[in-house]
Amino acid sequence: MILRAHIAGIEDDRELIRSPAGRVTRDAIAALPPLPAAAGARIALCVADPAAALTALAVLDGTAEHVVLLSPGAAPDLAARLAADSRCDAILCDDPDRFDGRTAAPAFDSLSALADGLAPGKSSPETTRWVMTTSGTTGVPKLVSHTLASLSRSARTDPARGRDQRWGLLYDYTRFAGLQVLLQSVLSGAMLIAPAFDAPLEDKLAMFAAQGCTHLSGTPTLWRRILMTPGHERLALKQVTLGGEIADDRILAAVAAAYPGARVAHIFASTEAGVGFSVADGRAGFPETYLSAPPSGVELCVRNGRLHVRNLQVSPAYLGSGAAFAGDDGWVDTGDAVERRDGRVHFLGRANGVINVGGDKVHPEEVERVLLSHPAVAAARVYAKANPISGALVAAEIVPSGQGTVDAGALRDAVRAHAVSHLDRHKVPVLIRIVAGFAVNPAGKLMRTEP
Amino acid sequence: MSDLTIGVEHVRATILGVFSEVYTGQTGASAPEMTDATVLLDTGLDSLGFAILVTRLEEELGYDPFSLSSEAYYPQTFGEFVAFYRENAPR
Repeated sequence: MILRAHIAGIEDDRELIRSPAGRVTRDAIAALPPLPAAAGARIALCVADPAAALTALAVLDGTAEHVVLLSPGAAPDLAARLAADSRCDAILCDDPDRFDGRTAAPAFDSLSALADGLAPGKSSPETTRWVMTTSGTTGVPKLVSHTLASLSRSARTDPARGRDQRWGLLYDYTRFAGLQVLLQSVLSGAMLIAPAFDAPLEDKLAMFAAQGCTHLSGTPTLWRRILMTPGHERLALKQVTLGGEIADDRILAAVAAAYPGARVAHIFASTEAGVGFSVADGRAGFPETYLSAPPSGVELCVRNGRLHVRNLQVSPAYLGSGAAFAGDDGWVDTGDAVERRDGRVHFLGRANGVINVGGDKVHPEEVERVLLSHPAVAAARVYAKANPISGALVAAEIVPSGQGTVDAGALRDAVRAHAVSHLDRHKVPVLIRIVAGFAVNPAGKLMRTEP
Repeated sequence: MSDLTIGVEHVRATILGVFSEVYTGQTGASAPEMTDATVLLDTGLDSLGFAILVTRLEEELGYDPFSLSSEAYYPQTFGEFVAFYRENAPR
């Protein structure tokens, strides 16, 4: 699939994206001149306006060797470093001065300037790679290579479906969740309403209401925030999607009550297994019947308390290495701990203990290492504390080092200050309890369940 | 003053105190003045901040009304937030 050809194949001219900065139509994309100078080039894209980004992607997909999607919110030094790490020949951005002196690659603020500045002579690749950065909030993000086909595998791409749909974009389009929404909307010929990504939520919702948004996708944490935002009731939604975190009965009921005309679906997706399915019956988890009569061509089973999936259409392998990760029988362990209860299969969280704080992942080991680096802490145990707003928060138990009585308040304050100075906000334990020791399982491993 | 009134004032005062503490811890600024009409998400506290507030209040008050309440409800204003805690206080 090539982006521009797919868009040009939409049967009639229509608006594909509307942002505060501009509008892009099918005809405008179809009429874009080719950019032979960009053939085989490696381009970093650092553009705030999703409409401008869509235009650039339509020109570069199928021509450039790869396009690196850099978050417009990234600090200039980080963006420059990512452009260098991905060996980019040039940067297409809103403000070339931002990169002045920071990169060897020249920066340009338009496609025509880019064409003039590139040394031609390479040939176009078979498939342009779309390189995304992982959403890690500490350290340097990793670069992950995709293709348009792999990114849109689970998207519905029949343009007849999208004619009357208006999707709202709540995320940074350079992140996985945001790009999924952008591609789903554009490839199905719907219109994407894209507010400024740094606008307050209230303003984004007002733009969606004014522009007739019908389809909106967000994490359960974001949906709770939407329901706490005045004006959310003005949206006339036909489709509400929840993904990226476990959706509980409460948020599903609340969204259904707020948008009685909408189909409410929560999505389970395993990126590694390359599969996803949605559940639209308004209840948490999925029906046990899916285990015998699977949805959308994905087989499901529960082994050792974990959900396993088998997708016979895609042979799963890690990107780059080509190493297969499915067992001989094709079943892939999703790593999600599940429980069968009342005819449903419920998600309990990640089997490896990773804590999902409103969509941001926290490895308990990282937090434990930081707590243990405080001299007054002899042992630390980090676990997920269930939370009605963010799904979970990080909580910790510590065993004090040293003998005798401890000033519990002072120790907690010192350890919390230590954690604040070494960890991202969402990784700092909201509760720190002082205990004499921890439960370990029969294998002697730390148990990371909520006490 | 009846016991109920004392309970009501206690809930409100506890929420204000914990809100102020969490607000400063999360934003580095001092908390704005709160009235019943203040929109919670206009205060500058984000979803993570509210999640922390609810957990800290569970420590202070001994209950979490979001988990106790049978209805799915997300308050928009400070007044609604306080009322939700009062109405769902364990008897």
